Amino acid sequence: MSQRWSNLLVWAGTIAFVVLVSKTAWAGNPVNGTSLTNLVVLALPLAGIIAMAASGLVVVYTTTGIFNFAQGAIGMFLAYVDWELTVHHGWPQLFVLPLVVLVIAPLLGIGLDRAIMRHLQGKALVVQLSVTVGLMFAFIGLANMLWNQNTAHSMPALFQGEGFHIGQVLLTWHRFITIVVAVALAIGLRILLFQTRIGIAMRAVVDNRDLAALGGARSSVLSSFAWALGCSLAALAGILLAPETADMSTTTLTFLIITAFAAAVVGRLRSLPLTYLGALILALATQWSGSFLRFSERWTNVPDALPTIMLFIVLLLLPRAEIQFARIGQVRRVERVSSVRDAAIGMLALLVFIVVMSMFVLSNTDTTNLSRFALGMCTALVALSLVPLTGWAGQVSLAPLAFAGIGAVAYARLGGAHGSIWAVFLAALVTVPVGALFAFPAMRLQGLYLALATLAFAAMVEEVFYSQPFAIGAGERSVQPVHLLGIDFTSKRAFLILVTVVFGLCGIGIVALRRSAFGRRLVALRDSEAASVTVGVNVLETKLAVFALSAGIAGFAGAFFAMNAGTLNGPTGFEMIAGLPIVLALVIGGVGFVAGALFAGIFGLSLVIIQSDWHISLWIGLTYLAPGLAVLGIIQNPSGAVVPIGEGFARLLPWRHDARRDYEEMTAATAEPEVGGLGLERPFEEADVLLVDRELGISNEVPRAVAAARSG
Amino acid sequence: MGLLEIEEVSVQFGGLLAVDDASISVPAGCVTGLIGPNGAGKTTLFNVITGLQAPSGGRVVLDDVEVTRRRPYRRARLGIARTFQRLEAFGSLTARENVLVALEMRRRWATARYDCGKIADELLERVGIAHVAETRVEALPTGSARLVELARALATDPKVLLLDEPSSGLDEQETDALGVLLHELTAGGLAVLLVEHDMPLVMEACSYISVLDFGRVIARGTPREIQADPSVQRAYLGTAKAAS
Repeated sequence: MSQRWSNLLVWAGTIAFVVLVSKTAWAGNPVNGTSLTNLVVLALPLAGIIAMAASGLVVVYTTTGIFNFAQGAIGMFLAYVDWELTVHHGWPQLFVLPLVVLVIAPLLGIGLDRAIMRHLQGKALVVQLSVTVGLMFAFIGLANMLWNQNTAHSMPALFQGEGFHIGQVLLTWHRFITIVVAVALAIGLRILLFQTRIGIAMRAVVDNRDLAALGGARSSVLSSFAWALGCSLAALAGILLAPETADMSTTTLTFLIITAFAAAVVGRLRSLPLTYLGALILALATQWSGSFLRFSERWTNVPDALPTIMLFIVLLLLPRAEIQFARIGQVRRVERVSSVRDAAIGMLALLVFIVVMSMFVLSNTDTTNLSRFALGMCTALVALSLVPLTGWAGQVSLAPLAFAGIGAVAYARLGGAHGSIWAVFLAALVTVPVGALFAFPAMRLQGLYLALATLAFAAMVEEVFYSQPFAIGAGERSVQPVHLLGIDFTSKRAFLILVTVVFGLCGIGIVALRRSAFGRRLVALRDSEAASVTVGVNVLETKLAVFALSAGIAGFAGAFFAMNAGTLNGPTGFEMIAGLPIVLALVIGGVGFVAGALFAGIFGLSLVIIQSDWHISLWIGLTYLAPGLAVLGIIQNPSGAVVPIGEGFARLLPWRHDARRDYEEMTAATAEPEVGGLGLERPFEEADVLLVDRELGISNEVPRAVAAARSG
Repeated sequence: MGLLEIEEVSVQFGGLLAVDDASISVPAGCVTGLIGPNGAGKTTLFNVITGLQAPSGGRVVLDDVEVTRRRPYRRARLGIARTFQRLEAFGSLTARENVLVALEMRRRWATARYDCGKIADELLERVGIAHVAETRVEALPTGSARLVELARALATDPKVLLLDEPSSGLDEQETDALGVLLHELTAGGLAVLLVEHDMPLVMEACSYISVLDFGRVIARGTPREIQADPSVQRAYLGTAKAAS
């Protein structure tokens, strides 16, 4: 479909959607000069806050190429710092606000850049995303630890909420200041980017990083500056937003600022004027729905979903990405492809371990722990759905748990209430077309934009899907574990073993798939789309297949989630925010490996156990903090933790003669050439020859063809 | 009439006319050279032929079938294969797997049944990299990785093969071997379009040469004619006036 037609379709769909929603949810308030003035007066401060946060995202993204998921969390955290100093210690806001925005925030930004972000340059997108998502969790976790969320916090508005009237609506000084600051920032950023030396260098970096560096732009200074500025903008947005929220909940504050994603994408993450426009449209839409529309029952959460709906629509309107050529200097991945036999042995070992555990360590009356282990295996199964999609095909999805949720609902509705075995497969089958639909935006959107689209999708599913009467509706739905071969798996022990067997079989299947033509084609597509199409690979067909496969596995996993939970209650257990740690844990473990998925399951399980069994207040924040901090490990080892673990282990196995050789070869392939002392303090060995040859692009052996040519 | 006909193709990037009304004929059974200074539009023309770049005007005809509006994968299935100037190998796959991907795709539209593994080994042997078959391509030296691309392109059993600077990264002996291989391939009826900076290789291997400068075909003929052409010398060396 041509760009023009698909855009027309999206626009028509958007208008139809807006008209339909406005018509059905119309609250009956009169639309006149007064109500429209009120609308605008209420929308402008909101637009200002969104614009500030979004500008921070844009400045950082354009200068460093990293999309900062943690923007909202940084704003939240610094708003709490401001709260601590003003409310808790009683310092005057007039002093604290500049202190936080102009001193603490820039220092935090520079620290983040130096310690973390700089090391992400040139890493795979999924790694970059995971680290900033992890950072978001870390900040939420840290804030939860420092400021007890069981007591409400509140931040007074500037000038104690006084203000003046425009028409009938009160515009507080706080909101007025917000608008003024946003406008001043727009002017200030414009001057910075167009009139100052550092700003011009930043814009040069946007156009061509390498060229700007050659022209003398010091990218390290620029990236520190961008992060400092980004954090300042986040702080400003967070502090101005905090008094507008009811209780300063850490997650609310964080996710309100995530609204900024939509505005930033309107500016295609480059243009600040368009970003401001996006913020304005979003604020107007939010106020429009707040002032004139009433949502009830199944649509209650639609207003919350507005930013993500807008994000989704804007993403669909982006121009089609051109065929991707491989990036020069891409990450050297370590991808040992295990054999089906090894996978089968591993899975058998896992099964034996789980059986022994459930027989001798966990008693059958200890349903809590058995249920946690089963949840861990279900999580591993969801993570497995990303192995072909993200690990091999390189399509980053942040919505695996949303697909699992759809699968869980499908299971509950299609026979899971009495444990029909068919319902499990129907759950997968129902999810497949939903996932396959994603192949179409995935044809247009590459990389980051696709990841954002999946995130928006996950949020939309959370807000509007589960509340539908055909899904779960207002009440609960109870489900039974399947009956299979005359066994009902209502006993938690039997269920745990069942899920383990299912994971094992799926894992072996996935390993076999990687070794098949389809698996090779997926990796080829990721490594070079341009080369793939020139050997005849149909990209749409391939993406359809892998999205369908991934969604199917996630839906299948969802059925087991539902069985383990026993009842389904709204989005509980399938929230967007619950899905992100699964992605993180998988990336930490190794996104291209079945063992990485198992790692994700074990990671989730350990978190649950530590959190509920260790009664130390420090661990309260751990749900968020642990994945956030753990993900930093992948900066050092982007292939994932299971690679060194697996290779170290495999070398000890008597039948794995090849493992030691592979290990050495891989160490040589991934090591950075170390020249110091070579030939002087240590001998010039075969591995060094290989390394130097590879770096210089020299062929170290004369191919046989040459010999043949000579003799002939 | 060539097997591949590029007819009056133009490509516009904003205000820049990268390819300007270029027509080139690539006959079967011989190597056609495409030379020109850097930035002349050679790689852009390759992208147009393979469908990675839409032309702003003109036609691409393969074996009397117009393919200008076909998607890249369809053109590959019709028999156009290429290598890339900047390596586009599947880096995390082994050399053998790179070739297998192409063979396994071809099995979908090829009429004859065949054993992918066996043919992959034969192709790797043929281009001279059988000894690194099980090495992942990103760990290979550039020259070998280029030969992997060549083997992968041959695996699609093309009618027309586009080679974009295949000799860069190869040493002298490997380049000689490449020349021998090109002769063998064209003897089997393959049409080859060769972009190359290595002039001895071009002059030795090509039957016809087209010269591209600023997107325009400024000369075409046999190697001997091209070497004697004053406009080519101007394009490559500049005139005495321009040089001063």
